Amino acid sequence: MRVEFLGLPRERAGVAEIELQAETLGQLLRALAARFPSFSELVAADELRPSFVANLNGDRFVSDPRTQLVDSDCVLILSADAGG
Amino acid sequence: MSYGYHGRYLRIDASCGSAAWIPLAHTTLRQFIGGSGLGARLLLDEGDPTGDAVAPEAPLVFSFSPLVGSPLTTSAKFAVVSKSPLTDRINDSLAGSAFAIAGKRSGGDAIVIVGRAPELSVLIVDDGVVRMEPAEDLRGATCRATETTLSARLGPDFRIASIGPAGEHAVRYATISHDGRHAGRGGSGAVLGSKNIKAIAVRGTQRCEWADPAGLTAYSRDLSARSFGPATAKYRELGTAANLLTFNRLGALPTRNFQSGTFEGADAISPEYIRTTHARTRASCAACTIGCEHIYASGDAAGVRLEYESLFALGPLCGVGDADAVLRAAKLCDDLGVDTISAGGTIAFAMECVERGWLDEPWLTFGSGDALLRAIGMVAEREGIGHLLAEGSRRAAGAIGHGSIAFAPQVKGLEIPGYEPRALQTMALGFAVGTRGADHNRSGAYEVDFSDKVDRRHVTLDAVRHAIDTEDRAAVMDSLILCKFLRGVFDDFYAETATMLHLVTGWDVTAGELRDTARRIVGVKRQFNLLAGWTRDEDTLPDRFLTDPLSNDPAATLTREHLSSLVAEYHRQRGW
Repeated sequence: MRVEFLGLPRERAGVAEIELQAETLGQLLRALAARFPSFSELVAADELRPSFVANLNGDRFVSDPRTQLVDSDCVLILSADAGG
Repeated sequence: MSYGYHGRYLRIDASCGSAAWIPLAHTTLRQFIGGSGLGARLLLDEGDPTGDAVAPEAPLVFSFSPLVGSPLTTSAKFAVVSKSPLTDRINDSLAGSAFAIAGKRSGGDAIVIVGRAPELSVLIVDDGVVRMEPAEDLRGATCRATETTLSARLGPDFRIASIGPAGEHAVRYATISHDGRHAGRGGSGAVLGSKNIKAIAVRGTQRCEWADPAGLTAYSRDLSARSFGPATAKYRELGTAANLLTFNRLGALPTRNFQSGTFEGADAISPEYIRTTHARTRASCAACTIGCEHIYASGDAAGVRLEYESLFALGPLCGVGDADAVLRAAKLCDDLGVDTISAGGTIAFAMECVERGWLDEPWLTFGSGDALLRAIGMVAEREGIGHLLAEGSRRAAGAIGHGSIAFAPQVKGLEIPGYEPRALQTMALGFAVGTRGADHNRSGAYEVDFSDKVDRRHVTLDAVRHAIDTEDRAAVMDSLILCKFLRGVFDDFYAETATMLHLVTGWDVTAGELRDTARRIVGVKRQFNLLAGWTRDEDTLPDRFLTDPLSNDPAATLTREHLSSLVAEYHRQRGW
C-alpha cells in the first residue's frame, strides 16, 4: 500500500510517500518508525502521538492500531492540528 | 488586594479627549475573565447593539486579561471588541505581542473608546494619562510606517496599534495592526477609523501582582518546556501554511471561490516549496515560546509573514498559483490594513461574477496575480470597483444581483476561512452558528473533522456536542488570554487553565466553573447579537454549499435539511 506523509510527518520521514506492506495500522506505524528514525518520535508503541493522525484513502480518519489495511489502501499521516 | 487585575477600565471620549476610570466589579471579572469575554460584557454595557457600528457613540473595546504580563507563554495578547461594520453583529478579534503588556501596564483592564475626534489623531495613553495629538501627517500611511514614525516620535516605551489606509476609508474589513500582527476580522479598523483615530499608543508602569508568584513561575517554566514538544512542532517548523498541501490532498482546500476543494497549483505555493526559493526567518510574539511566525523574503527587508489563511485566500481561492504574487498580496494587505480572508473572499467572489458576465471588470480574472494586487489596492482606497468590494461579498452580491448571493462566500457577512464546508462538515456547523460569522478561531470544529469521532463528509448529530466543546474551549482561551496553538499541550484543559487562573488571581476557581464561564461568554455574545437583530435564519451557509456537490468530491454533500438539523441540535444543546 501507499503511505503519504503530509506536513510535519513528511519533514520527519524525509519523503513524500513510500510503498509498504502491513496488515494493520499498528503494524504500519511500527514499520515506519523502524524505517525512519526521525519519524519514530511521532509514534508511541503502535499508535501515533496525540498531535498526529492517520487518514485512510483520503476519506476517514483512523486511530485504532487494529484497523485492518489492504494492499489497495492509501494511508495518509498528517498533523491532527489544522489550526490556521 | 486584587491580583491579576487593576479592577477598572479607562473610558475615553475621543470627541473631547476626556477620560475616566470606571470600576470593574469582582463578579464581572470572575464571570467574564478578560479578553474576549470581558470585552463582550463591556460592549453590551457601554453600547447600543441596535446602533450603527461606525457611529460616534459606538464603543470600541481593547480588552486585556489577568494573564497578560505574567510569565505564562503566549499570554501577551489583547482583544478588540465592537459591533462589526461588516456583519452588524458582535466582533471580537485578537492580536498578539507587546501592545497587550503595555496596554495593561497603562493602568486598566480595558480601554473603551467612544466619540469621534475632531481631526485625524493619535490617542495616547501614558501610564493612565490620556492625550490626543494631531495625525494629519500620517494620513494614508501604511500600518508599518505609522508604527515606525510614532515609535520614533514618542519613544521606544510606547507600543502602537494602528490602522492603514483601509481603516481611514472605512473598508468594512479593515484591520487594527500592531507590530505586524492584526486584529484582523470583522472591520475593527473601520471602527477605529470612524473615530478619526489613526493609532493608539500605550505605555505604563502599573503592574498587577500575582497571588502566588512562586507557584506561577514554576508552572510557567513547566508550561514553556511542554510548549517545545511535538504538539507545537508543526507551528515551529512549517507554520500554519503547512495546512495547504494537507487540505489539498483531502479535497478541502477552497479553490476559485469555493468551486472546488483542490487546486492544481498548490505545490508551487506551499511552504515546502517556497522555502526553497525564498529566504525564511522565524519570529514570535512577545512572551511566546512557540515561534509560529514564518517570514519570507519578498522585496524589502521586512519580509512577509505568511499564514495559512492568507495563503489560501490570496492563492487558491483566487486561483493564483504564483508564490511571489501571493507573498506580495499578503504584504499589501498587511500594510494597507486589510483582512486577508475577507479580501480574498470578496475578490474571488468578484472574479466569479466577472466570469459569469455579471461584473464589467474584464481584467479581474481568476489566476491573475496582477489583478489580485490591483484589486487589493483599489479596495483600500475605495477606488473604482474597490468601492463596492470594500463593502464585503454580501453587500457586493446585493448590488450585483443575478442571485449571486448564492455563492458569496460568507456567513452573517463574514467571509469564510480556508476550510471547505462540504468536506469538513463539523466545521460547516461551526461556521453557520458562529456569533461573529464564519470563523475558524471562535470555533475549532475542524479538530473534530480531523479525527475518528465523525465522518467528516457525512457528520451526524453526534458531531454537535464536539463542536460545542471546541467553541467553549476557545471562549476560555480567548478570555484568559492564551494562544490556541498551545491547546495540544494540555492533558486536561479546564483543570490546567483553572490552575493558571488560581495562581494569578488567588481565586478558588475549578474546572467546572470555567466550563460554566465558557458557556456564559458564548451566551453574552449571542445576547448582543439577539439585541442587534439576529434571527435564526442567519445560522446557515450560502446556497452553493447546500445545493452544489463539491466538484472534486461528489460524495461530499451537505443538504440544507441536514445543516438545519445540525443547527437545531446545536441550539437545543446550548439551551437556546
